[in-house]
Amino acid sequence: MNIPILSILIFLPLTGAILFIFIPREKTNLLKYLTVAVTVLTFLVALPLYFNFDGSTADPQFVETAEWIGYGINYHVGIDGISLLLVILTVFLFPIAIISSWTSIKDKIKEYLIFMLMLETGIIGVFLSLNLFLFYVFWEAMLIPMYFLIGIWGGKRKIYATVKFVLFTMFGSLLMLVAIFFLYSTYYKASGIYSLNIFDFQKLILDPGVQIWLFLAFALAFAIKIPLFPFHTWLPDAHVQAPTAGSVILAAVLLKMGAYGFLRFALPLFPDAVQKFLPLLAVLCLISIIYGALMALIQKDIKSLVAYSSVSHMGLIMLAVFSLNFEAMEGAIYQMLNHGLSTGALFLCVGILYERSHTRLIKDYGGVSKQMPVFSAFFLVCMLSSVGLPGLNGFVGEVLCLFGIFKSSHILAAIGVLTIILGAAYLLWMYQRVMQGPITNDKIKSFPDLNKREIGFLIPIIIMMFWMGIYPRPFLRKMDASVTHLLHQIKSRTSVSASVQKEEKKLITKTKEEKTEESKEKTNILLK
Amino acid sequence: MNTYIALYPILTIVTGALLIILLEVFLKKEKKDYLGFIAVLFLLVSGAECIKFWNKGFSYFEGNLLLDKFALFFFLIMILTVIFITLISLKYLSLQNTDHGEYYGLLLFALSGMMIMVSSRDFLVIFLGLEVLSMASYALAGLKRNDERSSEAAIKYFLLGSFASAFLVFGIALLYGAVFSTDISTIMNFFHAETSLSLMGLTGMAFVIIGFGFKIAVVPFHMWTPDVYQGSPTPVTAFFSIGPKAAGFAVLMRIFFPFWKEAVNSEIFFHILWILSVLTMVVGNLVALRQKNVKRILAYSSIAHAGYILVAILAGDNSGLVFYLTVYLFMNIGAFSAVIALSRKGKEFLELEDYSGIGFRYPWIGATFTVFLFSLAGFPPTGGFLAKFYIFSSAVHKGLVPLVIIGVLASLISVFYYLRIIIYMYMRKPTRNVEIFSYNPALFLVLFLCLYGVLMLGIFPGNILFYIKQAVAALAF
Repeated sequence: MNIPILSILIFLPLTGAILFIFIPREKTNLLKYLTVAVTVLTFLVALPLYFNFDGSTADPQFVETAEWIGYGINYHVGIDGISLLLVILTVFLFPIAIISSWTSIKDKIKEYLIFMLMLETGIIGVFLSLNLFLFYVFWEAMLIPMYFLIGIWGGKRKIYATVKFVLFTMFGSLLMLVAIFFLYSTYYKASGIYSLNIFDFQKLILDPGVQIWLFLAFALAFAIKIPLFPFHTWLPDAHVQAPTAGSVILAAVLLKMGAYGFLRFALPLFPDAVQKFLPLLAVLCLISIIYGALMALIQKDIKSLVAYSSVSHMGLIMLAVFSLNFEAMEGAIYQMLNHGLSTGALFLCVGILYERSHTRLIKDYGGVSKQMPVFSAFFLVCMLSSVGLPGLNGFVGEVLCLFGIFKSSHILAAIGVLTIILGAAYLLWMYQRVMQGPITNDKIKSFPDLNKREIGFLIPIIIMMFWMGIYPRPFLRKMDASVTHLLHQIKSRTSVSASVQKEEKKLITKTKEEKTEESKEKTNILLK
Repeated sequence: MNTYIALYPILTIVTGALLIILLEVFLKKEKKDYLGFIAVLFLLVSGAECIKFWNKGFSYFEGNLLLDKFALFFFLIMILTVIFITLISLKYLSLQNTDHGEYYGLLLFALSGMMIMVSSRDFLVIFLGLEVLSMASYALAGLKRNDERSSEAAIKYFLLGSFASAFLVFGIALLYGAVFSTDISTIMNFFHAETSLSLMGLTGMAFVIIGFGFKIAVVPFHMWTPDVYQGSPTPVTAFFSIGPKAAGFAVLMRIFFPFWKEAVNSEIFFHILWILSVLTMVVGNLVALRQKNVKRILAYSSIAHAGYILVAILAGDNSGLVFYLTVYLFMNIGAFSAVIALSRKGKEFLELEDYSGIGFRYPWIGATFTVFLFSLAGFPPTGGFLAKFYIFSSAVHKGLVPLVIIGVLASLISVFYYLRIIIYMYMRKPTRNVEIFSYNPALFLVLFLCLYGVLMLGIFPGNILFYIKQAVAALAF
């Protein structure tokens, strides 16, 4: 097969965005339908990837390479078991996000759609790049559309939120860039070849002392993106201020990029440093879990409640990642998808409510389910999926994660379970206050129930929630080989660099001895 | 072969300048635009001559005039700059009541000065070029005779500029006293060979650095920049932010290229430049945060960019430096063109408040300006990112990790104020009635070309890099 399917996938939305520049802004309907067409087409392009993907090998597939700028900066994309599902999640959610903003975005719709498409290109690019330069280009370029999406179509404090988002993210990624330079230079010094290829860097054996700094730089960039406590402060602001579709993409996909970064770069490249920092990272994850959940409990705003629940859930995912065993890793990746679906769906539901009432405060609601029975059913499923009810997707992921965590540490698992307990507490309580009880606010009585469009974009998500909860095998099967390979890499490389280090130490001591002998001889000669 | 052939590119420019000043007397006020077109014509001829000379490698008057690929590349950069500046000035001058025909002549004189600077290895000739450039620049800064700020700019520039020139001459004199030569390579050889520390030589060298530090606006010699940049007519500001800087850095490259390798005292100068670079990056960016005038923001940003370029000098990454200057040309002229585009008869819109809601009111200007700002901030996939990528990666390669960390954090600060302009343009409701004069095809041509340049250099820089490598290779001889 010679169709450059990944390149089409990456650049199709961008092409759409560029074409849109030439469509007059008055034709809003044409623009909207075209955007949906482009995103659905992207989804259809991605589907064959899933079916033709060979789950039995960890090598990247559908690889495309091309000379680009030279000096190791090449166009190099490919997909493996870890990125496959995240890409599918991205292209699955984009049409939904766009349909969800059909009526809520009223002015400057043309720019809005252009930025959404640019964002899609950026995100897919991040997941598919195998060249660090290319990765970084997409990673940074993706900030630009997100910056505008929050800044132009956001809420009251949009400017504060968007600047905070950009500066936080850039702070981390610029330091990561320095680390990339360092790897680039180290590889050149070691092999005489310029390269920015991830697989080349994985062959590098780095001094553990150097690894610490490089790992910290990478980890900071990704921890901000995830976000782990204490780097999470941008998240509630960005989420609350962003328009619904922006929140959906932010929660469902952008946060996963941080976790993906750990899996793809930080863990396999710096195995020694990972071992050193595991306890610290695990503690940060635990704090994220508990802190996020407690903060979610006391939120008055539904959107920031969901935002803090993301912090808590991402904490569990990362805790599973850092457990470094097969079950936990698979659970973590699976849970990333689940979290994408369920949190995305929750944001959609909040968006639906907000469109009707223009308030996000929990106290303004109550008894909505009487007025909107269909909506209350959908909302209930999304909420339970986030809680982790058996039969829905969240359960499978969380159980796998916790099994894995339990295998490596009982205490961590015991505390990690709190995600589920507290999660059930704040979500159910929120549901109760918003949807049940008597109708206190007269405005609610005028709420129409879901229209066809809203049912239309929620149904695919609900179907996926049930499917992934009842029959997860087809998804897990695709990542088995990649996860095994990743774990193997981390474990084997730790021992390799440790042994090399020992040898080096021997060498150093030897040379020292030789030197002392030499100097002794010299002094002897001088004495004579 | 006739020796004087080598002078053709410079002679063409000087002839053009003289012709324009002569014609100015005979032309009516409404037809001053023709002078601009004449200038562009001469610039194009000169550019064509440079391209023709590319593979020849002239060296005349005992090395006092070098037309190596390095010089030719800089000729081309500068000619392109002046072409752009001329095009964006055409309407601006009549709108702002400064349509003096001498303007184009002065621009060409300044250009000839810069060309002399980059095409010599002799300090005296370089100084000659610098003075030609400076004299023309002082006059350009004060072109808006009736505007107080413009006059202030001219006087400040003149006083501090002559101060800097004095430093430079003194430095050259001291170097001559130590080495008995004004030839850069001889002087550098002296630094290589010298075993005992010669105070005179070191002081001379330091003074030369100070002299050029003024020209390229390095902190702490930057004090003149904001006022001069703000006061000068905007196209002139655009010119100042690129032309003299490119020339200054070209000379610094000629000085430091042979210097780093094994110069005995290079350590001291390395540390001095290290500190200057850090100061320039940090101070330039920090002060820019507080500015409310777009021209001043761009002035401080250009100071900060000088700091990044100094990193390239420290890293010895000459091709990265030349690439940076090339990208910088496109993005900075582009940004200034966008600022010029937002003006009307007798009025320029320069306060941040004026930019509220501009992005949706004038979508094309807003969008291109945004791209230039993102490029200045170093976002991919623009040229600004690739330029920083090269400089910082080679600096890390040389082991200058702390410097690079300071550099990237400084550029993080810069993101804040570049984004602030974008915030005003797109995320605020318009508060002032900004009506602009929009029929300005030459300006829009420049905007488009700069946009093209910034994106091309960011995505497909292959060809340019190829020529830059050739140009830099010429330094070694």
